[in-house]
Amino acid sequence: MTPPAPDQTTDALHPVRAGLLRSAHADAAALLARTERETAARLDQARAEARAILDEARRQGEADGADAARDLLVTARRQARSRTLAARREAYEELRHEAAERVRELRRTDGYAAVRERLEQRARVLLGPAAEVSEHAEGGVVGRAPGKQVDLSLTVLADRALDRMGGEVRSLWEP
Amino acid sequence: MNPSGSMSLSGAIEYTHVGELRGPLAIVEGVSGVGWDEYVRITLASGERRHGVVLDADRDRAVVQVLEGTAGMDPEGVRAAFTGSPLRVPVGTDWLGRVCNGRGEPLDGGPPVLGSHTAEVGGAPLNPVRREPPSEPVLTGVGAVDALTTLVRGQKLPVFSVAGLPHLELAAQIAAQATTAGEAFSVVFAGMGLTHADASFVRDALEARSVAGELVLLLNTADDPVIERILTPRIALTVAEHLAFTEARHVLVVMTDMTTYAEALREVSAARGEIPARRAYPGYLYSDLASLYERCGRLRDRPGSVTVLPVLTMPAGDITHPVPDLTGYITEGQIVLSAETHARGVYPPLDALSSLSRLMRKGAGPGRTRDDHLDVAAQLLAALARVRQVRDLADLVGQAALSPTDRRYLDFEEAFLWDFVDQRSDEPRALDASLERGWRALLTLPRSQLSMLPARLLDAHGAKGLDEPGHPGHPDDLDHLDGLDGLDGEASR
Repeated sequence: MTPPAPDQTTDALHPVRAGLLRSAHADAAALLARTERETAARLDQARAEARAILDEARRQGEADGADAARDLLVTARRQARSRTLAARREAYEELRHEAAERVRELRRTDGYAAVRERLEQRARVLLGPAAEVSEHAEGGVVGRAPGKQVDLSLTVLADRALDRMGGEVRSLWEP
Repeated sequence: MNPSGSMSLSGAIEYTHVGELRGPLAIVEGVSGVGWDEYVRITLASGERRHGVVLDADRDRAVVQVLEGTAGMDPEGVRAAFTGSPLRVPVGTDWLGRVCNGRGEPLDGGPPVLGSHTAEVGGAPLNPVRREPPSEPVLTGVGAVDALTTLVRGQKLPVFSVAGLPHLELAAQIAAQATTAGEAFSVVFAGMGLTHADASFVRDALEARSVAGELVLLLNTADDPVIERILTPRIALTVAEHLAFTEARHVLVVMTDMTTYAEALREVSAARGEIPARRAYPGYLYSDLASLYERCGRLRDRPGSVTVLPVLTMPAGDITHPVPDLTGYITEGQIVLSAETHARGVYPPLDALSSLSRLMRKGAGPGRTRDDHLDVAAQLLAALARVRQVRDLADLVGQAALSPTDRRYLDFEEAFLWDFVDQRSDEPRALDASLERGWRALLTLPRSQLSMLPARLLDAHGAKGLDEPGHPGHPDDLDHLDGLDGLDGEASR
């Protein structure tokens, strides 16, 4: 058997080669197309994910911001409230101080002797006639009996009078 | 607080013979006309002021429990003035927006709470004939509570909890959110035996309401004197009664934790040498608790109402413990929290099947909340009861062997817990929204299972049979099986 001439072989393999080439091209094209599709899909997915992450981050940021704002608001309100209350307390203490001061000034008035006498009487009513009654350093009297005493000093009386005023004191800070 | 005892003859006399100081007790001798529970003002040689309550009086001796304790007191220079009556507090709107300690003294840096009138903190029992039955709801903004155990104006509804559950969070949330449909509303929050962390949590959670002038906050912390703890709920109720019946407001009084209160009562009772009863609590625990809880209500011909929400922890989860047991006798239902639900991460961890508001029918339903409210609540509870049976069955035969309907009940439970009950602790939920969520949970069940709801409502909400297309159980709609995603679709269908 003689081998076929080389050009004969080439001719015979041509359709095979062409077929292989065609199918390789087709495969490559399909692969390319699929890759492109997949890339596009991946890209879309990645974009969607990025969007979702961004949305979530934005939402979270807004929520954090709202929380922080609420905290700030609460703190600010608390500060405002505590300042108001502190101012009221100051006014209240000033009033007590002022009232005690004014009542103590009674000592220098003409009517003081009569007031003192009434206080002394009251001390004896409370503690009995044997009670020992003495002048208080800030005006008024202190009565003492065994095991008990009454403080009818002017300062204490002013304090009690103020206590009895109750809600009227609020006129200091209320219209 | 304004030292408000009337300056009567008895109030002016100061007794100077203190025979003995023992623990928190001071024994004052040579006294006359002193009665039990009388309030005492004590002045030390240094001028420092303390306060006390008469625990016992016998002939010329009085045993005084000093609220601030007797540490640093020298019996020599002590003067005790008996006010002639139990503690009285000023009452009025000046309390609103204030934060005070357990005996009503300011913690907020403000002046003493001032009022033109004072009232005895022990309160006067309401004339039963003048009581009006509770009606109309107080909406708490907590969906599961509003929908299933509606709180009614004038009711007393306790929260039963166990240490470790978020009952304080729930109490604070209710105190922060509760409303009465636009009518004047105030909250009095009495915290008893709170840790400092808890007290600061409560202050933060209620800040907005406090600033709005709708809240009275009384905080007795765990290290405050026990006798003060006994005064705290009484002061709260006294303030609330005045705000309600004189100032025409609906007032919700939240008292937490009543178990701590009862323990304080036990401590004082032991100091008085009384014969202990069950678990060493005094024999009068029942009547003492009743004297607090029964101060809620509405009065004929008077506006306003006092609603009481006591919170108590059951030691070791024991519902037969004297405090929850006796509380349960007096109150009108209970809201029970469950450790199991809490473990699943649901807030509020309501044990819906053990919870009940006995007066719910007076405050919910047509003309009060929503026409379908009572039906939806009843159906939700009925379905939950069935869930319990199904769970037991599943434990025996395995989930796979359950009937399709039974499996729907397991889905219902998920929807119930996660869509209906679960809520953020800073989220106010309107009743309408809660009921819609209730519907959404119910619609996971086949129509045949919703026999407590009228057909008209089922049609309106689009309830479907088990084998109808569109029902989550139908084979055509298998994608609806995975939980809540399907519920939205179902509800909108």
